[in-house]
Amino acid sequence: METSTEKSEQSSAQNKGKAVDGPAMVELRGVTKVFYRGKEPLRVLDGINLDVPEGSFEALMGPSGSGKSTLLNLIAGLDRVSSGTARVAKRDLTSLSDSELAKFRAQTVGFIFQAYNLMPVLTARENVELPLLLTNLSSAERKKRALTALRVVGLEDRNDHYPRQLSGGQEQRVAIARAIVNDPAIIVADEPTGDLDRKSADDILLLLEKLNRDFKKTILMVTHDPVAAERATVLRKLDKGVLI
Amino acid sequence: MTVGGIGMRNIWRNKTRTTLTVIGGAVAVLFFIWLRTILWAWNVGVEYSAKDRLATRHKVSLIMPVPKRYVDNIRQLPGIKQTTWANWFGGKDPKRPDEFFATLAVDPESFFQVYPEMSVPAADLATWQADRRGVILGDVLARKLGLKVGDKYTLAGTIFAGDWEFNVDGIYIATQKSVDRSQLIFHWAYLNERLPERGKDLVGWVISRIDNPSRSAELTVAVDKLFDEKDVQTTTMSERSMNNSFMAAFSAILTALDFISIVILLIMMLILGNTIAMGVRERTREYGVLRALGFSPGHVATFVIGEALAIGMLAGGLGCALSYPIVQLGMGRYLEENLGSFFPYFRVSASTALVAALLSVLLGVVSAIIPARQASKLTIVDALRRVG
Repeated sequence: METSTEKSEQSSAQNKGKAVDGPAMVELRGVTKVFYRGKEPLRVLDGINLDVPEGSFEALMGPSGSGKSTLLNLIAGLDRVSSGTARVAKRDLTSLSDSELAKFRAQTVGFIFQAYNLMPVLTARENVELPLLLTNLSSAERKKRALTALRVVGLEDRNDHYPRQLSGGQEQRVAIARAIVNDPAIIVADEPTGDLDRKSADDILLLLEKLNRDFKKTILMVTHDPVAAERATVLRKLDKGVLI
Repeated sequence: MTVGGIGMRNIWRNKTRTTLTVIGGAVAVLFFIWLRTILWAWNVGVEYSAKDRLATRHKVSLIMPVPKRYVDNIRQLPGIKQTTWANWFGGKDPKRPDEFFATLAVDPESFFQVYPEMSVPAADLATWQADRRGVILGDVLARKLGLKVGDKYTLAGTIFAGDWEFNVDGIYIATQKSVDRSQLIFHWAYLNERLPERGKDLVGWVISRIDNPSRSAELTVAVDKLFDEKDVQTTTMSERSMNNSFMAAFSAILTALDFISIVILLIMMLILGNTIAMGVRERTREYGVLRALGFSPGHVATFVIGEALAIGMLAGGLGCALSYPIVQLGMGRYLEENLGSFFPYFRVSASTALVAALLSVLLGVVSAIIPARQASKLTIVDALRRVG
């Protein structure tokens, strides 16, 4: 049964580069997600089976309303499945309590949002340091790690700049530094280049490639942009809540 | 950088709104301090009442006099150290009929012995004691009326009709906060000699100092017992009780001030709560991001409460700082000089300022409870979808 499912997923994915064949970072089995509009159920995801190997860089495409972001949210532990099982980094997310899920997100997942979502009252370095407030690290160690993450994204010299003093591309790079500062097992990116011009988008995609290639980060990216999707090693398509 | 610290930084994201809220809160704190200071100043007489003084008055009312011979009866009682008496004269300055100050006809020999907190230079006191038409004024009143030792002064009687001429023989100062520095004191004998026969030899009240303050209750009973069988019975009480009974006449006003001070704080809480709620609405998406990063609902609540705490502290600090020049130096000086009988010592007490500051911070936190609860209960996905 499992073998046939894997074959089916493999066929639904278009391999654009060298796909990674390792232990699964993400394992979804029969995942459905139902929202309610009033009393009317709305099935957004329907029986999703998905394996994302550790160290892969996968893109998820599909028309608006196809359930891409919902799927990403479930994998990232931002939302819960209506039925089925979701295992990410060897943790069964369906069995975790709210606080355990929060801890899971803090330790295992790095988030990159379309709108960057930096806190305007914090400098670039402080924004990157934000997830480390949940650790027991000393203030000096937090600062050191934040600067290291900013160096990785090439913005160490802008560490004391506020978001309003940065360009959109730079803001997104700070958001990427924030996503990696905790050394997460998986990075989820929801339209990371959606608000950027082509040049800045290319820079961000290069950075994601670097994180995948040099730092072995598993990356799952939702995108509408075919150029961005080209950079992933695996491309998956979703339509009407079903992987095709 | 701390979670609460970030919340505090958030307050300056909308500088105009925060500034207006802080000013609004500070004005509320200022009014609270002002009203509490009125209450405190009004009660300061009770607070500083001498423990070793008893007051004896007519059993029916303070406005009814008792026979002067009662003074001698009370003096005979074991445990009574000194006794004096006074009459409320109710004089007005004919040139300033709206000006209110206490005018008392007293016994010159014993009055300042029973009230040692009113200090008069010995030479002036001796002059006054020998001068049947002499007056001694409080320093605040003397300054206000422009009088000095050696001046002549005329009062118009309101209870005891006619013009009453005096020589200013001395000016007393206060060695204790509760003393009204706007009183005018003259010889009871001067008043008594001008009264018709049926009004002679009556005194308003008798004040006694006792040997041992712990015997106060026992002696009040003993004094009243002296006159149980007489035509005019008395009520004797400690000075504190007497001041309290005087205060009781104003209890409705005091209760109203108490109530208003609480309403002011509630208004302040609503102002703060509204500002915090607006901030929460605007930052919903950020709270979603924080939750996504692994922060708990408790952390989000701390962000919100940190913000409210900061505004409460700023409002409290500013309100307290303003209270010194406005309430203490401005209103305080004015009330001491013009309503010294009611507010002999109108100052912002440290405890009032401390309570105002603490309540400001506390109410800031309380006002944030509902917005903090709403922010912490947001689902992450919904919060991230929120625009603006």
